[in-house]
Amino acid sequence: MIHELLLILPMAIIVIGAFVLMLLSRSRVVDLNRLNLVAVFFLGISFLLELPQFGREAVLFSFPDIFGRMYILDNFATLFDLMFTAGAMMTLLINTDYFKSRKYYNGEYFALILFSVFGMMTLVHANELITAFIALEIASLSIYALVGYHKKNKISSEAMMKYLVLGSMTGAFFVLGTALIYGATGSTNLGDISTFIASHGREDLTLVIVGGTFIMVTIMFKIGAVPFHSWVVDVYHGAPYPVTMFMASTFKIAIFAIALRIYLIEFASISNIWTPMLQVLTIITLIGGSLIAISQSTVKRMLAGSSIVHSGYMLIAISSIGLGSEMAAPAIMFYLIAYFLSAVGAFGILSFIASQSRKQMTYEDFKGFAERRPYMALMMAVFMLSLSGFPSTIGFLGKFYIFTAAIESGQILLAGLGILTAFISVYYYFKLVAMMYFYPSNQEEKKLKINLSSGLIALMALLVIWGGIGTSLIPFVPGVDGFIDIAKQAIGSLYLK
Amino acid sequence: MQHILSNIIFLPLVAALLLGVFRTPLHWLRLGAVTASLIVLALVGVVIFYFDPSGGMQFLRVAPWIQNYGITYYVGVDAISLVILALIALLMPILYLYIWKEERKGYWYNMLMLQTGVTGAVLSLDLVLFYLFWETMLLPIFIMIGRYGNGLYQYNAMKIVLMTILGSMSMLFSILYLGYGYFEATGSWSFALNDLARLHLDAQTSIWLAAGFLLAFAIKIPLVGFHTWMAPAYGSSPTPTVVILSAIMAKLGVYGLWRFGYGLFENTLVSYAPTIVTLAIIGLLYYAIHAVMEPNLRRMFAYSSGSHLSLIALGIIVTNIYGWGGSLYFIATHALASAGIFLMIGLLFKRTRSVTIFDLGGIAAVAPRFAFFFAFFALSVAGLPGTGGFVGELLIIIGAFKADLWIGVLTATTMLSAMLYIFWMLQRTIFGQAGSCTETFEDLDGREMVMLLPLMLLLLITGIAPSLFIPLGEPQLTASLAEVMKAIGGLQ
Repeated sequence: MIHELLLILPMAIIVIGAFVLMLLSRSRVVDLNRLNLVAVFFLGISFLLELPQFGREAVLFSFPDIFGRMYILDNFATLFDLMFTAGAMMTLLINTDYFKSRKYYNGEYFALILFSVFGMMTLVHANELITAFIALEIASLSIYALVGYHKKNKISSEAMMKYLVLGSMTGAFFVLGTALIYGATGSTNLGDISTFIASHGREDLTLVIVGGTFIMVTIMFKIGAVPFHSWVVDVYHGAPYPVTMFMASTFKIAIFAIALRIYLIEFASISNIWTPMLQVLTIITLIGGSLIAISQSTVKRMLAGSSIVHSGYMLIAISSIGLGSEMAAPAIMFYLIAYFLSAVGAFGILSFIASQSRKQMTYEDFKGFAERRPYMALMMAVFMLSLSGFPSTIGFLGKFYIFTAAIESGQILLAGLGILTAFISVYYYFKLVAMMYFYPSNQEEKKLKINLSSGLIALMALLVIWGGIGTSLIPFVPGVDGFIDIAKQAIGSLYLK
Repeated sequence: MQHILSNIIFLPLVAALLLGVFRTPLHWLRLGAVTASLIVLALVGVVIFYFDPSGGMQFLRVAPWIQNYGITYYVGVDAISLVILALIALLMPILYLYIWKEERKGYWYNMLMLQTGVTGAVLSLDLVLFYLFWETMLLPIFIMIGRYGNGLYQYNAMKIVLMTILGSMSMLFSILYLGYGYFEATGSWSFALNDLARLHLDAQTSIWLAAGFLLAFAIKIPLVGFHTWMAPAYGSSPTPTVVILSAIMAKLGVYGLWRFGYGLFENTLVSYAPTIVTLAIIGLLYYAIHAVMEPNLRRMFAYSSGSHLSLIALGIIVTNIYGWGGSLYFIATHALASAGIFLMIGLLFKRTRSVTIFDLGGIAAVAPRFAFFFAFFALSVAGLPGTGGFVGELLIIIGAFKADLWIGVLTATTMLSAMLYIFWMLQRTIFGQAGSCTETFEDLDGREMVMLLPLMLLLLITGIAPSLFIPLGEPQLTASLAEVMKAIGGLQ
């Protein structure tokens, strides 16, 4: 009993933290700064408690006698938990200046972040469709509120409405899909469904396939795959910078987590049914995302557009899984880590700058940035290189694994298209580098304020480079191999019974 | 000895990082950069001293890097890469001497990183490692053109990066496919060149994969049709960058064709040979005609460089010992000559703020030493007998004649056309009446002479006594040529 409680303690701490913060949010004694620290404290404890759990050899279920096998504890979920708590901590710590500079922030912000982290954690631990749906909605509802956090700003409110309406509607597809699958199999548990699918012929599975497709609609919407992408750019644009950062780096990963779990476990034996559909989606996502990203003039919208393209790369790997590639699943995990690091850094710098000015941050505003802030510009360049998949950064290896997996599964054309869109992405990422470095500045060089925000961004930049070139020769420091080993271990735990 | 190549590759980068982290003042930065380049030069001297001409690949160093995918840190040097390695090591101190008074620190950092990039690309024998260096060497070029260039530099920097990355991406695709092909055939991963060379591919696949590599090299050389970035980029580059572009980076394109083209696809290259030969011959003439008409000196020598690189590519693709020997020789001597002439143009620009032929003239009267050096390097670009370029060109032309009479005849026009634009250019810039720009032209000072003399001496030695150098490369060229001929077998 106590042992099982200990296992779910990381999640429990997040919920407790969220409630504590909610209660404290109206207090006159505790100001925003303290609230921030309290939130980070809870996240940090959760992170530290989670850390030793990684590498467990067995798969556990929490309170199986009460909940059945609803709530799974494996390396896969643990790794994602670590990323969520780390992502949330980054979001809070990097943006300490941001919320000080904006009047509209108040205490609930921190509670909402923690609630959404709780939702995401539950989502990756969910071994059952209803649980997954509830978790998804917990996470999404917090995000909806966060997107519209700047109430007086029309763009922010519009973004919130757009996301709320479209998100809830596509959320309904998930419930419908679950209902259909339940109708066919009599269970919503992923393990039971997968045994049902494995033991029945294709003709008995029509309802399951339709249900699975509906669930896929929700997932595709949340990751912003074309043609479910129309919300992405506007919502990313309308949300305050920290929230955009949180969505792009952390929330998106959560969706991929549940997608992988469903796709690898539940539908493992029939996943090739969706392959043609996924391939078409991948193609239009890659092309459409590139077109959107290439035509933006503000950096935030460009990053939003390019996040669609990154979803496209990961979709390549998902369809490779269906075609029997063994490397594809670890490749997605690795790509998620790579994208997480680079996106946290890039959005972190954006909100770091935004905390000191009220500009829209178009490409033009970055002119001469390298002279004003040489270190920030250097780090931004590193993140841009990583996002564009330039070698010597972790982003390159992410693409390397994805494309190799695509070639392994015989999707030569898709790999080619991926490389082509990676080439296009060089244009819009390098444009920012060019803006920063190629134009003289009309202001003096500002001294770098060495504080927690800039320190964390620098840490991300170092990780991005180390993840790209790090040798495993140095003792006690995991190199490039370390990252992919972690990814493999996490995926491996999905197959443990 | 085991680590000597790694030291040569990474010393400049480490120097740049150390100097950058501590934000050293300019004079320390300058001293650090020059010291690093001199140490590298000395180390390369050691490598040359212990180099065994008939020893094949030497100074090998293999270390695991990404073990899951069999990617290794694998470097080594043979006669071909040694030539380019020596060129890089020699040119860097000269370029530092050129930018001695440069106060923009970015210049120095970028030059240091550039040296690591190009050296790494020359020495790496693992395809992923090669790709890494091949791409990263582009970054300093990008930054230097975009920050310190002239004309439409921002636009041209973007253009060179996008075009070369398009090539690299197609190469990446081929690399991935080859790596996976090796995995499929043997069950283990490897991206090492000598492993992948043993891989047997069917003709259809091989054609496509070779195309991926060839696109990258054709853009880098550039062969005609892939050259639209060349003249704008050369025209907008600051002098050190243009020297690197023409003397090193373009050579890396040819080197890639040699190392990876023949290393991986010796059979397939035969079917590409007619196309490449045609492109090279068109390039020879097309670039030469452009060079005749071009009034901007930098762009003019960009076209001249393109013309000569087409010649080198042709020398490699005709696959006989004259062509190969000539190409290797010409890689070295053309690099020296073009480095010299681009440095002269840089000095000219510093003095007159113009590189347009119409603004110049009458330099010989006011600055005889400058005129002498300028004429010398210009003529050695054209392949004047007595300079190294002549030997290289002659050997390539003989090789072309051996391959086919008409190829030979068309190739020989390159010497003629080069004489045409060089002499006409000299007549208009060096001689004639001094204009408003050139009346107060300062002659070369001591530092500039020191910078140019090594290049000049080397060009003369290579021109007068080629027998000193040719035996260094010959054993290996003969051996690898025999291998290629055996592989091609009855195809030719």
